[in-house]
Amino acid sequence: MDRRSFLRTSALASAGLLTSPHFALRANAAENNVLRMGYGSEVETLDPIKTVFGSDILCQGLMYSRLLRANPDRSKVGPGLAESWEISDDGLTYTFHLIDAKFSDGSPITADDVAFSWNRMRFQKDSAYNAPFQPLTKIEAKDPKTVVMTLDRRFEPFLTLTEIWNTGIVPAAVVKKMGDDAFAKAPVTSGPFKFVSWKPGDRVVLARNENYYRPGLPHLDGIEFRFVPDDNTRVSMLQAGELDVCIGVPAPRMAELKAAGMRADPEPSSVTYDMIVNHSKPPFDSVKFCQAVSYGIDRTAIAQAVTLGTGTPATSIFNPALNYFDKSLPVIQRDVDKAKSLLADSGKDANFELIVNAGTVDEEKASVLIQAQLAEVGITVNIAKIDPNQAWTRLTGGDYQAEMNWWYNETRDPDNALRWCAWGTGDNKSYFSRYNNEQVNKLIDQASGETDQAKRAALYAQIQAVTADESPQVALYYPSWLNAYSPKVKDLILNIGFQFSEIDETSLA
Amino acid sequence: MRHGRQGVDRFAFILKRPIHLIPVLFGISLITFLLLQLAPGDPVRLMLGPRASQEAIDFVRARYGLDRPMMVQYLYYLLNASRGDFGQSIAFRAPVGSVILERIAPTLFLLLYGLTISIALTLGLATAAARRRGRWIDHAIRFLCVAGVGVPSYFIGLMLIMVFCLRLGLFPVSGYGPTLWNNLWHLFLPALTVGIAVTPILTRNLRATFIQQMDADYAVAGRSKGLSEHYIFTRHVFWNSLLPTINLMGVVVSFLIGGTVVIENVFNIPGLGQLLIHAVLTRDYFVVQAVTLILAFGIVITNFIVDVITVALDPRVKL
Repeated sequence: MDRRSFLRTSALASAGLLTSPHFALRANAAENNVLRMGYGSEVETLDPIKTVFGSDILCQGLMYSRLLRANPDRSKVGPGLAESWEISDDGLTYTFHLIDAKFSDGSPITADDVAFSWNRMRFQKDSAYNAPFQPLTKIEAKDPKTVVMTLDRRFEPFLTLTEIWNTGIVPAAVVKKMGDDAFAKAPVTSGPFKFVSWKPGDRVVLARNENYYRPGLPHLDGIEFRFVPDDNTRVSMLQAGELDVCIGVPAPRMAELKAAGMRADPEPSSVTYDMIVNHSKPPFDSVKFCQAVSYGIDRTAIAQAVTLGTGTPATSIFNPALNYFDKSLPVIQRDVDKAKSLLADSGKDANFELIVNAGTVDEEKASVLIQAQLAEVGITVNIAKIDPNQAWTRLTGGDYQAEMNWWYNETRDPDNALRWCAWGTGDNKSYFSRYNNEQVNKLIDQASGETDQAKRAALYAQIQAVTADESPQVALYYPSWLNAYSPKVKDLILNIGFQFSEIDETSLA
Repeated sequence: MRHGRQGVDRFAFILKRPIHLIPVLFGISLITFLLLQLAPGDPVRLMLGPRASQEAIDFVRARYGLDRPMMVQYLYYLLNASRGDFGQSIAFRAPVGSVILERIAPTLFLLLYGLTISIALTLGLATAAARRRGRWIDHAIRFLCVAGVGVPSYFIGLMLIMVFCLRLGLFPVSGYGPTLWNNLWHLFLPALTVGIAVTPILTRNLRATFIQQMDADYAVAGRSKGLSEHYIFTRHVFWNSLLPTINLMGVVVSFLIGGTVVIENVFNIPGLGQLLIHAVLTRDYFVVQAVTLILAFGIVITNFIVDVITVALDPRVKL
């Protein structure tokens, strides 16, 4: 054999080896009973109190148990680590009785651990999300199985808040010994899955926690929470069998995945897509101008164009997933003449700059539609595509006129959502829109302490009517979560609070 | 002996080169630092999220020394860097050194793999095109080169995934793999995509040089002496043609490195490219600094190696 034919043969042989079916089979075989989830942002910390990022929230929700547990559609919260509880008559003292439970390292979960976890969440300086818990003033372990929490006023939403991700229970002794930073990278967990490894930028690997307090659960042997930044790659991986769950599917690809046999149905969410407007600067400092814009846009068309039917047009900033949603409130229909006359009445310059987060396809689509629709009213919209970090800085600093945004709520109780986006005296100034309506502020405070359901509903209906009219933010549409699951995955949905709360009952066929 | 002394002198530049490296790296770090600082956006606010209190933000900002004036921050950075401490990643709350070490292997692998594939492709395609000049294979290769330059690498990557992963199931869509053999398999398509991006330029350059050298006087002389085309090509023309393309490769490597940033995203490879994108978007100052320095260092080293190879190949070159 001479040199040339030798080279040729070896080239062919290596090509053959690399592409042999042997490897092909390996590509698509799943590890037995390990659920592989793909998400578009990466996990940055495994400490529940340090973050507000979606990736961390999802991953930590699989790892830590909380005092209460939510049902799959989050309409109810029931016993979790707390098997029973009492609320004092004045509504200021909550007493929780703990179940017998252990951490993933075998040590018992005691009231001291619960008190420690809650105290650091509520009071530690770098706790990222203690805002919903303002009325909570003290957390104490009365005995090894009892925790007492004290509030400074009657606060209806409190119980439902004891389930959200950052109230995950962590072991006091371990956190104190390792320190926050080390714990955040290799935690000991209290939930259905324990930490195995974390390769940053790649995946978090979890395994079944044998010490999980619910007997016989979880069904899965483990979970791999993978970072896949590109939407199309993530969908391809699901199609190729490399992922079992694709979190976040571009709307146009849902139908294709459904046709290929995946479970790809829109899931109800508590997300509201809106255009935040700056009430402290012209032209949105005039209520009439806000109303002109509100009547000038066609929410139905925008919802259809962006969500392709998986979302609905918005009536106000109050999401249908929240309790006390007023079904009788209509979606403001487009009325170009009314918009024009409101514009003339307002006396403002008919133009503004709309900031869009660059790279966010939905925002870009919606902004173009808004621009076209308002042009017919006589308002010129200049779209500025800015990188998300800068857009955020301008929003918080008040250096904007209008900006596209979205947000969701962790619970079905509306208090948190309203304080977030319509409460003028709060730290974040009605989601930085600087909207401040004294009446709405009072109504929000009143409603959070109202125990009579009918009265509470009436208060929230009033708030919805006022905000629909005055637009703290111009609400556009309510999208659904768009996720796709391999047909092997049973009993798993993403609930309205952005958690896979029934993950301990999930199984792979 | 005279020849030996000359030989040693030719390689003397190797010792002087590293001294030139320092001002280059210094300049790059200063420019990167200034660009980042001047770009609007607050990493702490981003990290803690929209509902964080001002108190929390101030606390974390002080912890990372971001409340000090700009030039003071830079001086501290230099001081620490000289001791091997490249700062803390704000997003990951971990030392920059460890964050980078975790991700450098896949990127290096991808780069070397991509370079190997592109060298192999270049040599093969340019030889075939030049030897059979004017025939259909030459035209086909030239067409492929134009297509390769024209089509964006993102699209090529996605197409390769669709055909070879989804339809044929031959390769995995993403990731890196646990063992060396697995790495070669997982990274084949990404390396191919990276290679396709730079092969056309090198191929056309090499082909043109081959054609030029095949008409050179020594080649004509060889033919007149009765030597075969094959012999003339493999013994003389080939080696004389390599130099300009090797120099071009030094330039092209920077495109290769830039390409990995996009390709790592498409194929979901946990390397430096993905880290860099993430760090820029989250204004993770120290990570961006460190990764930029590493990439710059890589380019400088590559050019250095190109120079060494040039000197080794051609005795006439003096650097």
